Amino acid sequence: MAGRNGAVAPGAYPPPVDSPNEFIKRQLDPEDERIEVGVAIVGGGTAGLATANRLLQLLADDPETLERLGEVPVAVIEKAKVCGGHNLSGAVVRPGPLQELYPEYTREQWREAGWAFGEVTKEAVYMTPTGKVALRIPTPPPFKNHGNEVISVSALARWQQQLAEEGGAYVLTETSATQLLVEDGVVRGVRTGDKGRGKDGEPLGNFEPGTDVTAQHTVLAEGCWGTLTGAAIREFDLAEGREPQVWELGVKEVWKVPKPLDRLIHTIGPWPLRISAKYGQIGGTWIYPMKNAKGEDLVSIGFVVDLEYADATTSAHDLLQQFKQHPLVRKILEGGERIAWGAKALPGGGYWSMPKLTMPGALLVGDSAGMVDTVALKGVHHCIKSGILAGEAIYAALKRGSTDLSAYEDAVEESSIGKELWQVRNTRQPFQKGFLRGGPGVNLQIATKGKLPGRKEWHRNDAKPMFIGSTAKGYPKPDGKYTFDKLSSVFITGNATRDDAPNHIRVRQNVPREVAETWRWMCPAGVYEIPEDAPEHGNVDVIVNYTNCVQCGAITAKGGRLTPPEGGDGPLYQIT
Amino acid sequence: MAGILVYALHYEGAFNKNSLGAVAEAAKLAGELGTEAHAIVVGEGIADDLAAQLGGYGAAKVFKVEAPEGLAQPVVDAMAKVMTDNGHDYALFGGGLLGFEIGAGLAARLGAGVTMEVTNVTVQDGRLVAERPILGDSAISESRYKGVGIIIGRLNAFEVPASTGASAPVETVAVELSPWSTKAKLVKRGEQRGADVDIEGADILVAGGRGLGKAEGFEQLQELADAFGGNSAVAATRAVVDAGWYPYAAQIGQTGKTVAPKLYLAAGISGAIQHKVGMQSSENIVAINKDANAPIFEFADLGIVGDLNKIVPKLIEAVKAKKGS
Repeated sequence: MAGRNGAVAPGAYPPPVDSPNEFIKRQLDPEDERIEVGVAIVGGGTAGLATANRLLQLLADDPETLERLGEVPVAVIEKAKVCGGHNLSGAVVRPGPLQELYPEYTREQWREAGWAFGEVTKEAVYMTPTGKVALRIPTPPPFKNHGNEVISVSALARWQQQLAEEGGAYVLTETSATQLLVEDGVVRGVRTGDKGRGKDGEPLGNFEPGTDVTAQHTVLAEGCWGTLTGAAIREFDLAEGREPQVWELGVKEVWKVPKPLDRLIHTIGPWPLRISAKYGQIGGTWIYPMKNAKGEDLVSIGFVVDLEYADATTSAHDLLQQFKQHPLVRKILEGGERIAWGAKALPGGGYWSMPKLTMPGALLVGDSAGMVDTVALKGVHHCIKSGILAGEAIYAALKRGSTDLSAYEDAVEESSIGKELWQVRNTRQPFQKGFLRGGPGVNLQIATKGKLPGRKEWHRNDAKPMFIGSTAKGYPKPDGKYTFDKLSSVFITGNATRDDAPNHIRVRQNVPREVAETWRWMCPAGVYEIPEDAPEHGNVDVIVNYTNCVQCGAITAKGGRLTPPEGGDGPLYQIT
Repeated sequence: MAGILVYALHYEGAFNKNSLGAVAEAAKLAGELGTEAHAIVVGEGIADDLAAQLGGYGAAKVFKVEAPEGLAQPVVDAMAKVMTDNGHDYALFGGGLLGFEIGAGLAARLGAGVTMEVTNVTVQDGRLVAERPILGDSAISESRYKGVGIIIGRLNAFEVPASTGASAPVETVAVELSPWSTKAKLVKRGEQRGADVDIEGADILVAGGRGLGKAEGFEQLQELADAFGGNSAVAATRAVVDAGWYPYAAQIGQTGKTVAPKLYLAAGISGAIQHKVGMQSSENIVAINKDANAPIFEFADLGIVGDLNKIVPKLIEAVKAKKGS
């Protein structure tokens, strides 16, 4: 199957994973060994915490219902060291849902709280035909951001955690949820991950087994590529009749800059990508101004690449470094200092790829449900809005004493989430034919705001055959000051994964070089290495440096699988 | 009288290198504060002339307390009493697990502030300020103390000067141990995770990375370390420990040990920042790597681009010849 640079699809080498068997637990531990909570929320990101915040607002005025939830009314289970530790986004948000959820806080107070960095007043969109030239184009409607706010989702989640705790939630940080508890076709909660296991899974001196956390309702807010969400989708057939999910990968840096940037910038390529059908690269960048509460000028810059590409040497991290060579960027960043870096995959399928949102005993919010508009590059406001709607639906169900959450499904469809995602439901699919062939179709969809009927299909990212191209030839050699290698980038995330922890990444060994190279280049954290003495053609084994992993999730799109690591492992993002 | 009290750990008639560094650091800081650095030794039957040797590193006085050895709680009792009786404002430790445990217990006992893994201490406005790397060493946080401050160094953070040969007066202090302090007994001394070499104390480290190609590559590094003789040892990177080529006890870097030998010879190590933070304080760094672009050449004092399988054997020969002459 592996010829000389002969195209092979990563999907032909599926990872050794047995989902849902591995990630669903059907026999609950005895009652005295469980932890019982009212509502269990898996994932302390913006969507999960918005759910907690809204639910607790409603429960604050209703002591009777609160009482019925027991000693721990709301528990948030978060694998990072603090909420927000694994969160990363552009991010320029539509403020509406945040204002709706936190009406007592002004935008000025958001900024004082350290998670918002100013309102967008000027913006520009550029095409970059080459590495030297940038052409300003009229701002396409989806890119209009006037009045939106530049924020850090990592800092926002930290703030939401504080509100949730003040409202009475128990936030269990450094805790992975590794299995969904399902009994008689109903989600009963989750099992938390073991801690203190060695490389081969053997218990070490500090071993602590996980616990069954049972709940009246469970919220899956795992973000992109949730392991339990994936298992739930299979178990309850939530994706039946939907399109497969497709994915993108974003790498972001935050810079402290000598002079303020006066506008919000998006670039739509094509440089440094290769948009030919052969390379299949689609992507874009953002450069957002941020002023922090101390008055310092910061800039958020990032590169997003669609994981539909075919050149195995495509690396979002290195493309960002290459993009920074452009004079447009140099004049913004030069003389500044990089203060943060991070990477995260995001769901790009939009409306048709969204699974059914509810199942008996549980529901999906935010990125777990694929609520991202990758035309406008927006999802945070949908995360918040879905959290609000989920909180309200759960509250209503608790009040009725019912387990039926289907009202949430309709509420999402009728809300701004359903409306906005419907408009762009068919917009990006044409790009799967390539940028040039697909471009007119995309423009037509944007111009008609989704009024054209029909449903356009997605095909799976891992079905795309890979070849070893020459994208990597354009990557600059890192100088450690302006451009950086992967490992020094991982270093500044504060990543502290225990060296002797079990490997949480599943990939096949003995795979064609094209597949191995895909993993090696794609991974922004330098997790995958091909041994120097591996044969140039044919199959190779891959060294997996899983302790470098920043849990971006991209590997799952190209033939591997990220599973929940031990709680507390991974990066500690602060301002991404 | 205000001052700094340093816990000096000793074992079999010799002081721990990090404790000596802490005494010297305290003497320097006390000079800037216009006060004195004192040391405290706790153990069974410690000879006065051993305790007095701490004067050579700058201790103005040494308190000697007769109590069980190797346990934290008796030392907490002893230090709490000595600090209360003499009005010390600060306690300083050279580091190590015992230092962490004593420091934490002492902070609880005295209601003091405590900072661990400190890499530098300065004097600002007549008070000590401790600097501690945070977020995987990517940033430095500063600690200041409202009352008593307890500062526990990171291993090798404080340089050990040669002894001046001076001796300090020794004052024996009787301390009544808390009831719980005598409950635990030291049963056995062992090295953590089976370490059989003291890489943190070595003067010369020969370290190997994935560039060695295979586990057997460490044999020639061992041979080179043996040729250097004296206080030399072999160390390793995370990648090769991960690959099972060398034991974890010898791992240098962010998640391994932090070392500062006189000579650090890096063979087949690319020098990623995760490794660099564990060895960047080495006095002389020599790197052998076949990739001229390897980051290690940016901070090595001497870099050799070439095949280590050819260079190391020649190096062994040369060192042997030099030693033989």
